[in-house]
Amino acid sequence: MRQQFKINRLATTGLMGPMVDKHWEELRTAKERGEKVAWCSGVPFIFAYAMDMKCHFMAGYSAYCAGRKAAEQILEIAENTGELPDTCSYHRLHMGMAEAVKNGIPVKEDVILPIPDLMIAGRVCPEMSHYAEALYRKFGIEVVGIELMTPYQESDYSFLEPFVERQFKEVLIPKMEEVCGKPFNYDRMREILTVLKKVATIRNECLEYFKKVPSPWTLWDYGVSLAPVIYLMGKPETVPYYEKLKAELEDRAKNNISAISPEEKYRVFWDGWLPWGFLGQFARKITSYGANPISGRYPWEMFPRPDLIDPEGDPVRTFVKALYTGTMLGNNMAKPGLSLMDKIVPEYNIDGIIFFTAKSCRIWKGQMTMLNQMERRYGIPGITLEADMADGKMFSEAQIDTRLNAFFEVLEARKEKRRWI
Amino acid sequence: MEKVLSRFAAVSTDPYTALTTWKQDTGRKIIGCFPMRIPEEIIHASGMLPVVMWRGNEAVTLGHSYVHNFNCGLTRSFIDDVMKEKLNFMDGMIFYRSCLQAEEIPSTIELNAPPSHFLYLYLPPLYPGIPFRDFLIQELKRMKQRLEEWSGQEITNESLNNSIEIYNKNRSLLKRIYELRKKRPGTIKAREMLAIVHSSMLMDKEEHNSLLESLLPELEGRKELTGDKIRVVLSGGLCQTPHTAILDLIEETGMVVVDDDIYTGSRYFANDVTLGDNPLESLADRYMKKTPPDPTMGDWNTLWTDYMVDKVKENSAKGMVSLLIKYCPPHLCYYPDIRRRFDKEGIPEVLLEVEHEIVSLEQVRTRLQAFIEVIKGGA
Ligand code: SF4
Ligand code: SF4
Repeated sequence: MRQQFKINRLATTGLMGPMVDKHWEELRTAKERGEKVAWCSGVPFIFAYAMDMKCHFMAGYSAYCAGRKAAEQILEIAENTGELPDTCSYHRLHMGMAEAVKNGIPVKEDVILPIPDLMIAGRVCPEMSHYAEALYRKFGIEVVGIELMTPYQESDYSFLEPFVERQFKEVLIPKMEEVCGKPFNYDRMREILTVLKKVATIRNECLEYFKKVPSPWTLWDYGVSLAPVIYLMGKPETVPYYEKLKAELEDRAKNNISAISPEEKYRVFWDGWLPWGFLGQFARKITSYGANPISGRYPWEMFPRPDLIDPEGDPVRTFVKALYTGTMLGNNMAKPGLSLMDKIVPEYNIDGIIFFTAKSCRIWKGQMTMLNQMERRYGIPGITLEADMADGKMFSEAQIDTRLNAFFEVLEARKEKRRWI
Repeated sequence: MEKVLSRFAAVSTDPYTALTTWKQDTGRKIIGCFPMRIPEEIIHASGMLPVVMWRGNEAVTLGHSYVHNFNCGLTRSFIDDVMKEKLNFMDGMIFYRSCLQAEEIPSTIELNAPPSHFLYLYLPPLYPGIPFRDFLIQELKRMKQRLEEWSGQEITNESLNNSIEIYNKNRSLLKRIYELRKKRPGTIKAREMLAIVHSSMLMDKEEHNSLLESLLPELEGRKELTGDKIRVVLSGGLCQTPHTAILDLIEETGMVVVDDDIYTGSRYFANDVTLGDNPLESLADRYMKKTPPDPTMGDWNTLWTDYMVDKVKENSAKGMVSLLIKYCPPHLCYYPDIRRRFDKEGIPEVLLEVEHEIVSLEQVRTRLQAFIEVIKGGA
């Protein structure tokens, strides 16, 4: 019989649910309080927060929606109203949601979004603007577009940053001022950045614990804890959350408690999105092999360089620097992604890589190349799992099980050769 | 005339041989450009030959070790050609992102099989605001500088304006052929038209110009098409060439293509560049033109559907055939609007989802026949 494994849940992560729920509830009820609402793709939501607008964040909302098991219903509405099934499932979720709200189609209440006063199309990926463009065409919702090019390589930061800074200052801020009817609140932006800097710094200390063998936490735990370094940005309660998390990890590390019991058999790099709609399902599958995902390109992109954030100076400039020089926007490209893996694979004692490939989203570029390179450079095997972050119709569970089985057989066979420890 | 047309067809179906021969004959460099937005004139002015990257002529095999099989046909097949070393005659490649799949190709090539010269450009979307135009011009300057390094040749305003004139001439000649087809539909088959435009993307423009000049009067002399054909326009097919077999099928089933809105068609030669003292700015101005609307450009205000409906109406067409490349997000995301709009206008429209590999021509035939029934029913 195969050995049985389970995750030792952290107590702290249980505190995140209410914080996240509160965020979405405040957004859902904003109009009742006469507050302005924005929808935003990419990271410019900080500008809406600085203006006291309630703002959604496209990927965060989609993850929340999928996590709440509401995706299926909303995707169905989208497809019934003409959306094509090969498009990004986050795009379809938004089209479906807008359709539902505009036309009174009943959906799960806790995921309802109010129709925004403004859509900020922060174009980290072109699809991020397609949803805004489509909603403009369908419902006439106002749009402001910001190009947030993904840097191809490090040497490009120097000329990308001034362009993005100009867009924020000359396009986005004037639009925010126009929609809100008041001057942009730079001080509020500084306050948000101050909290973010603090939280991301403690978070980085927490990430260090992933290096420990066995690791006291899993990427699933960190996944649950991402909101404070992204869309809960600036909320004061995010600081004590990460302080508590750090204390709990410290304690586990001191007592050599592994996140996977009875033992951590394999340490895995998880590439691509976390499968938000199916997190429990995937966590169970991976855990059943005694494997712990402890790093990945996606969770590593949330403001990894808080040291670069200088809230005292020009808040817009420092924010842009955190995005580019701070490598927040680059990991999804193959060249910066490979540099990150070169650092992480040896430092974190990685045994193998799971490339989670969302069929409807190709943002995590270079996976096939990375798979080849990691095998060549470190003798580390990898597999691709073709699935989706929200749309269950896009994959077959049986195929995923077969692939995982084969992958862990390879890992087992190579265990002798494990070079790190 | 048949000689010119078969030359164009040969270049379009086998660019490998045509370009290898051209390179041997001229000793000049060839630079591959990712489709749709790269201003080829700057490359031309550096004395090198710009060619637009194409969908290869065989099934993807090796490429699938580098790119997912659910990428669009152009990206999969281009990678496949590179990995099979079929494109070794390309001295350089220039990329930008039109979509996420396009964004993946450059690093895949640079990390696995880099050409001698390589450039990744950041070409912005058409968003309102001064920073976009300024940044575009800055990127074009960067491109020019790189090309000067690659070619060892300075690109002066004069040489650039000269290249612009040659390109403008090509555009106006292609336009004349399109006008001719509009006036006398059927005299030029859809597959011939495709070869005419596609070969322009692959040949030295001056040579293409002189071939077009000799072709035009002969085309004008072609006999009128007789019989009662249903007039349609084609739309879509963003970065890649449509299959000639599908174009033939459209005509075989009783339709005639009077005009199109496809990239290897009227979109390629739309909009001239205005000659002026600052040719880079002139090129930027062409890039920033909002029509024909391009769903990869992020311009939410100019409706592609307006453009399509106008095209159908001005050509007195009875319907539109949408060529949608499988897994092409910009078109996929736009399509619901197209469907809705055509329904609203009461104009028949049919969606053909096209892959690099033709799955079943019979299915396409059935769809086209059903489409014709709809048109006839409404007539
Ligand atoms: S394609 Fe991917 S990155 Fe782009 S909007 Fe969709 S989920 Fe986000
Ligand atoms: S825009 Fe469409 S055709 Fe062009 S590369 Fe992207 S997916 Fe392929």
